[in-house]
Amino acid sequence: MTIVAGKTGARQRLRPLLRKIWEHRADYAYVLPAIAVMLIVIAYPIYYTIELSFFNTPPGLQLRDKIFIGVDNYTAILTSPVFWKVTSNTLIWTLASTFIAFVLGFGCALALHRDFIGRGVLRAILIIPWVISAVAASYIWKWIYHSDFGIIGAVLVGLGLADRPPNFIDSVSTVLPSLIVVNIWREFPFAMIMMMAGLQTVPDQLLRAAKVDGANAWQRFWHVTFPHLRNVSTVTILLLAVANFNSFIIPWIMTGGGPSNASHIWITHIYELAFGRQRWGVASAYSVLLFFILMTLGYFYVRALSGNDRKDGSA
Amino acid sequence: MAHVVLKDLIKTYGSFKAVNEVSLTVNDGEFVALVGPSGCGKTTTLNLIAGLIPITSGDILIGDRVVNELDPKDRDIAMVFQNYALYPQKSVYMNLAFPLQMRKLPKDEIDKKVREAARVLDMTQLLERKPRELSGGQQQRVALGRALVRDPAVFLMDEPLSNLDAKLRVQMRSEIKRFHQDLKATIVYVTHDQLEAVTMADRMAVMNGGYLQQYDSPAQVFAHPANMFVASFVGSPAMSLIPLQASTANGGIVLTSAEGWSLALSQPNARKVQRATSGKVVLGARHSTIKLHKSAVAGAIPAKAYTVEPTGDVTFVQAFLSGAIVNISVPPTIAVAPDEQIWLEFDQERIHLFDGETEMALQAN
Repeated sequence: MTIVAGKTGARQRLRPLLRKIWEHRADYAYVLPAIAVMLIVIAYPIYYTIELSFFNTPPGLQLRDKIFIGVDNYTAILTSPVFWKVTSNTLIWTLASTFIAFVLGFGCALALHRDFIGRGVLRAILIIPWVISAVAASYIWKWIYHSDFGIIGAVLVGLGLADRPPNFIDSVSTVLPSLIVVNIWREFPFAMIMMMAGLQTVPDQLLRAAKVDGANAWQRFWHVTFPHLRNVSTVTILLLAVANFNSFIIPWIMTGGGPSNASHIWITHIYELAFGRQRWGVASAYSVLLFFILMTLGYFYVRALSGNDRKDGSA
Repeated sequence: MAHVVLKDLIKTYGSFKAVNEVSLTVNDGEFVALVGPSGCGKTTTLNLIAGLIPITSGDILIGDRVVNELDPKDRDIAMVFQNYALYPQKSVYMNLAFPLQMRKLPKDEIDKKVREAARVLDMTQLLERKPRELSGGQQQRVALGRALVRDPAVFLMDEPLSNLDAKLRVQMRSEIKRFHQDLKATIVYVTHDQLEAVTMADRMAVMNGGYLQQYDSPAQVFAHPANMFVASFVGSPAMSLIPLQASTANGGIVLTSAEGWSLALSQPNARKVQRATSGKVVLGARHSTIKLHKSAVAGAIPAKAYTVEPTGDVTFVQAFLSGAIVNISVPPTIAVAPDEQIWLEFDQERIHLFDGETEMALQAN
């Protein structure tokens, strides 16, 4: 009796749901192609990467003859000194690039927020690094840094500040900072644009109120502007961090990870393992690890965004 | 508290004159409303007093001090804004404390003043809340508190009730009035709502196009509008303004409509019309001074009812006379239907006469 009742209860709940789906059948049909494409180009590669990460793929064998080795790829990665070198490079690269690009971009945004003659021109110029191709920029910077023909070296020597041109990207100790400079140069305009947009949403009346309340320029910034920009700052920093974690073009083109892994970050390393040395299994295991790290960042990103919505909704 | 004096105040933006030679005195403890339609220069005037925008020329005195060049914080003013302008990340307590912290008062004194202000405005229980957790009325009370806590010489209020719903607006109106009475505060209050100005202010400064049109008590402004703009702006529904032509007939003066009817003026009114610059005269009458008849009466002018708006205790009838809308109020017991023939009788003692050229009120002497 109870079973029957439960069954009909479930059926009663199910039927309106099915009817709803049926009523919206056209809507489902419309999104079906998109879902199919997503499954093919996103879901399946993710699955295949996870699968591959448990296999050994010797370069001599075809991929379908891969050998199952359990978590060996993961243990190999985690015990390899190169992994730790690359990870520390990635962290330095990501944190330094993100932080400095954000501060620089914010500073420029604040400067450009005031009205002055030439503001539009300056703003356009400052956006250039962000809009030109990363590949072109990498080659340009490679030449700027060049130890024989680079302009920086030539200027330093010409001014008598150095005896001979410094080795920016051919030296283990200076290569990573040199690449970080290029990366910051390329992405600070993004932070600038985001913060400029944020600054425009600071209510004028609030700044006026603070002025009447006796706050000086710095206090107005600290008590009104900065708190107001907290959400857009969080989003900007997270987006920069994700982009930097995923960086590839600048280090790959400028140094290819060298010299001796000094400028390898995760993505360039994975790329080299997979497409340079055909070690698909290890590269896949690396990718899976990176995937989880980025998912964590993504979680915070979404949370920051929805936090924003909550506040706007109740304000 | 202190008085405020504006002398020949001018503010221009390029060739646009936002505020035009405005001169007025706000006495110590007086509640003055700056009132006018959008873009009339009232908010600009308030911002000039606050020091939020620089003046082009003229003088502003607060107390006996010329404050033309002083920063807002040095003018001893407090301001209440239309959107409350509360610091969203700070609690109510910190919002109230902020202006005191900026003046580097000792902590215990800040605490004392904040709690006192909270007590006066009856919001002690709200001190720990964030502004977004408050209703519009509560937020506006916090904004008042933040002004109050400073004990300024002058309160400047920029449309503080505009963002509230109608019911709350009426309630806050009396609260602000009470606030003024209790504190004997000098208040300059900007509003586009003539009803707020009339109900709250000791004196109202009616502005239009950057010019001060009239500065007087609400009763005086209502009873003796200086010009056609003030006449049509103050009072609701607006005063009816009917353009007519003056001419002499039988030794007296009559106003004639292009529609053919005419109105013989009484002696005092005739004297006023004689001072007009031309024959163009505008007759002004408030809705309550026009008598509506449902049948022809000597001296009454025939018209057709256009719309009928019952409001409960009074019914407003609109009709057209000489192309102008005329508002008449009648007791709800008198039933008028749209398009019904009616006759309107003007009360000669209570009509207003304006010069059709200069738009200024015509005076008998």
